[in-house]
Amino acid sequence: MADAMIDRPVIALRDVCFTYRNASEPALRGVTLTVGRGEFVVVMGATGAGKSTLAKCLNCSIPQFHPGTLTGEIAVLGRSLAGATVSDLAGHVGLVSQDFDAQLFSTNVRQEVAFGMEQLGVARPIMQQRLIEALALVGLSGFEKRDPGTLSGGEKQRLAIAALLALEPAILVCDEPTTDLDPLGKAAIFEVLAALRRQGGTILLIEHETEAAEHADRLVLMADGRIVADGAPATLLRDVARLEQLGVRPLDLDRIGTTCGWPDRPDIDEAARRLSATPQIPARIASIASPDGARRAANDDSRENEPPLLTAEGVEFTYPSGQRALAGVSLTIRPGECLALIGQNGSGKTTLAKCLNGLLRPQRGAIRLRGVDLAAMRLDSVAADVGYVFQNPDHQIFADSVGEEVAFALRNFGIDPHAIASRTEVALAAVGLAGCESADPFLLGKGERQRLAVASFLALEPAVLILDEPTTGLDYPEQRRMMDLLARLHARGMTLIVITHTPWVVGHYAQRGILLENGHIVFDGPMRELFAREELLERCHFRVPDVTRLGHRLGFTPLTVDELLRVVRL
Amino acid sequence: MYLYLDRNTWVHRLHPLVRLFGMVAVFVAAYVVERPVWQLPIVAVLTALLVWTGAIANVYRLRYLFGIGFVMTLLIWTLFYGPDGDPPLLAVGPITVSHTSPVYALGMALKLNGFLAAGLLFLSVTRIEEFAYALSRVGLPYRVGFTMTMAFRLVPVFVDAAGTVIQAQRCRGLDFDRGGLWARARRYVPVIVPVVMGALRRADQMAMNLDARGFQASTPRTVLEPYVMRRGDVAVALLLIAGVVAYLILWWSGALTLRPRGLG
Repeated sequence: MADAMIDRPVIALRDVCFTYRNASEPALRGVTLTVGRGEFVVVMGATGAGKSTLAKCLNCSIPQFHPGTLTGEIAVLGRSLAGATVSDLAGHVGLVSQDFDAQLFSTNVRQEVAFGMEQLGVARPIMQQRLIEALALVGLSGFEKRDPGTLSGGEKQRLAIAALLALEPAILVCDEPTTDLDPLGKAAIFEVLAALRRQGGTILLIEHETEAAEHADRLVLMADGRIVADGAPATLLRDVARLEQLGVRPLDLDRIGTTCGWPDRPDIDEAARRLSATPQIPARIASIASPDGARRAANDDSRENEPPLLTAEGVEFTYPSGQRALAGVSLTIRPGECLALIGQNGSGKTTLAKCLNGLLRPQRGAIRLRGVDLAAMRLDSVAADVGYVFQNPDHQIFADSVGEEVAFALRNFGIDPHAIASRTEVALAAVGLAGCESADPFLLGKGERQRLAVASFLALEPAVLILDEPTTGLDYPEQRRMMDLLARLHARGMTLIVITHTPWVVGHYAQRGILLENGHIVFDGPMRELFAREELLERCHFRVPDVTRLGHRLGFTPLTVDELLRVVRL
Repeated sequence: MYLYLDRNTWVHRLHPLVRLFGMVAVFVAAYVVERPVWQLPIVAVLTALLVWTGAIANVYRLRYLFGIGFVMTLLIWTLFYGPDGDPPLLAVGPITVSHTSPVYALGMALKLNGFLAAGLLFLSVTRIEEFAYALSRVGLPYRVGFTMTMAFRLVPVFVDAAGTVIQAQRCRGLDFDRGGLWARARRYVPVIVPVVMGALRRADQMAMNLDARGFQASTPRTVLEPYVMRRGDVAVALLLIAGVVAYLILWWSGALTLRPRGLG
């Protein structure tokens, strides 16, 4: 099938419209797109722009699994998809989705990769050869006998890709494959895609991470079900204002380059050379870095006199499986702090956070809330003071209405029924969901559900709020909205502990950084000092934002693009 | 996380069909026995195999299930089983324990644990792929067999999800230990709803992903590692047949029952 289509586009959509059943608005509105063999196309846009719908059309899961009204023409490898099924496209179009667990069915890696080939009747010798090649391409050679359930998130996603690659699809469609991965996992996926591209594979990648578009052949921008731009990434990425308007986070260097009026897109070293050639800049750095540092230091000093809110003393925790998650962690958190817990998956961040709110009891050491050992407290009395917002809001949402969802915790804690309505109203207003009390929580968008989860804890008026990766799965505008909400709460005096992998979130919002590695705290201090230690962070697989890397070449440590631009524009 | 134990014992290497047959053979043999003493050979063989294969670790994981099942069965049959005309052994108020019932109850408890142990042993030594293959060999369509075996893979996934949901709701003050039975049962609604919703979403995604890997393809399937019936497999199968036939003959002769067959 594939060999006969060399001169034609491998993907051709003409005027495609799709409306999900029971939806009032179309998800795709007249999409026309062609992709040539061997092209690497990145599709970006805000949530609801139609990116995932587009991906699902390419392997026929729309309309087979997601019924609705589909019009227009879709051709893959020169054949119309009218009347085709997902099964018909197995081996031609591979679709990698965000949820890697839903893509794995077998009890070992070898069997997982072979699964699709067995279904398609591939001969044994060919199957064995492809199995070796696919695992080598995704860097999982030697993992053949491992149970997929024991792999890390990144490894699971690479296995899912290998299982599809073994079918030798002409097209690989990846729908936000790195969303649930830590930086190490993300980097590995992008390496796999780069290797596949070198081998001439056609890739359509849907991503929220703008960095993914840098090395693509084409960047397609979508909004409101339409393709609004389609061109070279180097050109489109420089249009900072338009990207922000479309809900795509502009890259640090593009924001700086646009402000400085650079006609091209230099790399970090070239950007540093240009900036340091400006005579005033070194002097400006010296003048701006000190007061800023002094302000933060003063801020910290003022807290030194306050009694600790939460303390951990030599905390050790080992899971029943024998995995040692915390190996003697000690820290002090004072009222009003905003700190980021960072470190790669498995470093102990979530375990530490769960110990801090009493969900997990350490085997050694003690956690104290206002001086009282949590071991002597009931979980519900701790939970009212130390809220814990889980990463996935769908792990808690169950009620018929948004108002009930927020009131649930208040009732559990025996709050006066008269106060429940007012507290619910205040909490929903704080997260931007005022007036949504009677809405069905299951019909809200992911960002709204995440904010609802925050509201259900805010209503309890806790002293500390712990958030486990609150921006995961959200697009850039929703990420901003969530973090701005947290910044407002912090400004009102709430103590925040945020677990995150997102460098720009850390740089923009956190004051203090705690870096964990293998259950140990390897750094605890002001964010700027942590970002200054680029090598330490890289060892823990955390890459500082490009603006910080650029700043280091200039001799200071900016946390945000705005900080650097203040130096540049003075 | 899963019951399957990746070992390389002789039992693991048996043909999947023989392993399935072995489980069914234990079910049949244990089922026809009433006298506890005749359950003992089955218990002995199962225990030896559980220890040999390492599946005894799974028995330990599920020790409460075995323990509660044994005690409850023993209790219920002792208290409520009594063949007509059986003289009483003990009478306390309205409850009368007959002479036969404790022995019968012990047989039933051993039978139940035998079923559990045989199923556990099978799942501990059999991959879901092998299970699906064995089911297809006994005539079940491959897709039906695979879908059935997926349940075994998904149960632990849902148990994990339920654990996370329970933690999330406990953070919102949900106390599962407070109140009477009905109040406690109602408190599980905030756990059940997110777990079920998640399960439905997962099932939908898995169905699509299975199809995308050719699960519904009309082409004849091939297998990466074909299962070959060797002489050892045949020998074990013959041994199992002999064992089941022996138990059936004993049952027919009345040696396994506490009273002659047909007398209730």
